[in-house]
Amino acid sequence: MLTTVAAGRVYDYSYCIGMYSQSGRGFWAPQDFVLGPNGRIYVLSRGVEQLGQRVSKINFDQEFQGQFGSVGTEDGRFVWPRSIDLDKNGRIFVSDEYVNRITVYGEGGSYRYHWGRPGSDDGQLNGPSGIAFDSHGTVWVVDSWNHRVQSFSQIGEFQSKFGKQGGGDGDLEMPWGICIDHQDNIYVADWGNDRVQKFSPTGELLVKFESSSTGVGSLKGPSGVAVDSDGDVYVTDWGNHRVQIYAPDGQYITALTGDAQEPSSWTQTYIEANPEIIKARRRVDLEPEWRFRRPVAVNIDADDRIIVLESYRHRLQIYNKLRDYEEHPLNL
Amino acid sequence: MPHQEDIGLMAHLMRRAGFGDPREELEERASKGYEAVVEELLHPEQQPAINDELLYRMFPGYEGAAAPPINQADWVFRMINTKRPLEEKMALFWHQLFATSNSKVDNPPELTSQIAMFREYGLGSYRDLLVQLAKSPAMIFWLDNHGNHDGAINENWGRELLELFCLGAGNYSETDIREAARAFTGWTIGPKIPRNPLGRFFWEFEYKPEDHDYGEKTFLGHTGNFNGEEIVDIIVDQPATARFLARHLYKFFVADEAHVASWNITPPRDPEAIELLVDAYNESTGDIRFILRVLFNSDFFKEARFARVKSPAELIVGTVRMVGNYNGFKPGFNNLALECNWQGQELLNPPSVESWHTGSEWIDPGVLMRRVNFAARIVGDASLPGVWAIIKRVLAQAVVKGNLSPQAMVTACLDEMGSLEVSEATHAELMFHAENGGEMALGTDEELRATAQKVSKILTLIAASRDYQFA
Repeated sequence: MLTTVAAGRVYDYSYCIGMYSQSGRGFWAPQDFVLGPNGRIYVLSRGVEQLGQRVSKINFDQEFQGQFGSVGTEDGRFVWPRSIDLDKNGRIFVSDEYVNRITVYGEGGSYRYHWGRPGSDDGQLNGPSGIAFDSHGTVWVVDSWNHRVQSFSQIGEFQSKFGKQGGGDGDLEMPWGICIDHQDNIYVADWGNDRVQKFSPTGELLVKFESSSTGVGSLKGPSGVAVDSDGDVYVTDWGNHRVQIYAPDGQYITALTGDAQEPSSWTQTYIEANPEIIKARRRVDLEPEWRFRRPVAVNIDADDRIIVLESYRHRLQIYNKLRDYEEHPLNL
Repeated sequence: MPHQEDIGLMAHLMRRAGFGDPREELEERASKGYEAVVEELLHPEQQPAINDELLYRMFPGYEGAAAPPINQADWVFRMINTKRPLEEKMALFWHQLFATSNSKVDNPPELTSQIAMFREYGLGSYRDLLVQLAKSPAMIFWLDNHGNHDGAINENWGRELLELFCLGAGNYSETDIREAARAFTGWTIGPKIPRNPLGRFFWEFEYKPEDHDYGEKTFLGHTGNFNGEEIVDIIVDQPATARFLARHLYKFFVADEAHVASWNITPPRDPEAIELLVDAYNESTGDIRFILRVLFNSDFFKEARFARVKSPAELIVGTVRMVGNYNGFKPGFNNLALECNWQGQELLNPPSVESWHTGSEWIDPGVLMRRVNFAARIVGDASLPGVWAIIKRVLAQAVVKGNLSPQAMVTACLDEMGSLEVSEATHAELMFHAENGGEMALGTDEELRATAQKVSKILTLIAASRDYQFA
């Protein structure tokens, strides 16, 4: 369905951006993205082994505006980049799961500094994945292999932590993505426990988003989470290839499964250059192509557009949350 | 602590039924008893599988990869990190026997799917495996069965099914090939979304009844309106099939043999062993697990130590498993896969449907240098925690009452490297280097460092020896 109506909400598919590329226009196994000023989108590609790691700068008009970063352990490089976020000054923070550090770049991508040490003591990291800023400028880092969340100053001074390995309330198992709402509440994608947990700024468990007693709203390896202006919560259900949507109290609303029936303009260029591929596409059901495959991160912009990043398809799909939708006559 | 002889036998089993084990794992296995370990290996479902979800979380670019070194890296990761060594070794066995190559298929993820199918069916019924093979999209494309139509047959799949996969030359006629091909008409692959920059899409097996030849066929003396599965049923009942599979299993797990292309003129190296395996095939109606149980528990297997030249995959995976420097998630598995390619075994891309020529044919002067350099570089790198751990264990094992004799040091080094047995010439050479440079002292930090360096040198020499090339 291009338009999904559920529980008084309307989600309307808009368009998609992206394609695979080792460098330049496109992404490779992208893991996260962040929305910058003036319609800019920074997309973080994981690549594979020694190829493809970078931050791509694009905009909503599907214009490629450059890239920065590459594979390596030297200053400004990364090996297993996982998450990206911006501080209030537009500086770009990138987590690297392999070298256990957070690297900071200027708005244009110039290297500034990095911090982070491997280990399991307070302030040390073992596989930092999701990162997010609260309203005070504190950086919250999901410390995946230590099964916890830690907070730091922007220069890496340890401030606090919560979570421990386990399956009980408030416990975490290989957590992945994170987001922080306007009240500084913290949502953590608890990957290994198939749920998202919402914590207060002091680490108290507030709400769990997971399968209900009737089985609806289930998650399998959630990777990313975002909150819109109404407080609705969007979870990239990575293992089930969909986005699950919940009300603020955890009540399940609906799912998005991907609707990119029209390829992105970048992909379309590739297709149109290959007559045999055009021919082959006319022989098959293209639905698998437009459905989500490994949705990995989600963000909501100021207009409540829902933007979903797919790792396997190297693509962003964009939905609008409509406020003024009127039902069409049902007797058409 | 198990007896040294038991550890040596366990090392042999794990080199063949897996990719070798580090010394401490050999001790653990040996303490369970040989036959119990064989049973454990034959039942991989009792051990945890590689967690695909975690693997693809850590290596998202591996999933559906369409660049051969990445698909190869995915497999090499599994070979190194699996808790089910025989399952992975059987996947390699079937890949060598049913050689399907990316050079033509040009779809690495389809080959990765075929390997996954070998994992699933590789220890079960030979009949079921052959049916799955006939439905494998990569195989259908590789041997042109998608071009095998009612009234216009393509014999390629039918020919190789008989010649290279099941019976061997001389055990069928050209008519049998044509009749088999007729029976497999309609076994094809459906159109799929073509490759594009949105990731690969997978083929599906498709049976087209309208394209199947329903006429009567006479195949290997049987007459009927056969479809593909009935052809497989007839094949697995042939005495030649039992013998053919027995020779392949012997060649892969026991001792180097002539290449399959010459089997109709070259007798088996050990006819009695082949007979035993044939009997096991017949008794179990082609149950692979049953046949392997007989093989691994046989005297001819236990006595065949170091009777095979390691394949590149065995050499590379075995070396890094021994040192432990690729345990878990880390970058660089593609480099190991590329090393495999450079040593002459391009996984997922065998040179032809006849597969690789194995045994001494793995080695030529150029490749030998690569093999020696690779193993010596890894084992000689004392900065690797796994190598340093081996050095420490050698010292712990060899130092008696504060003294370290060259003989004890060489013995401990050979033991740590998989209970390796070496020739007299190699042993003499190792002793020469162990004795060279005077007494090995352990009193001060400096003396300990110098002795550790000497241990490291002996380990490197062992890795560079002729003996290390054998499994």
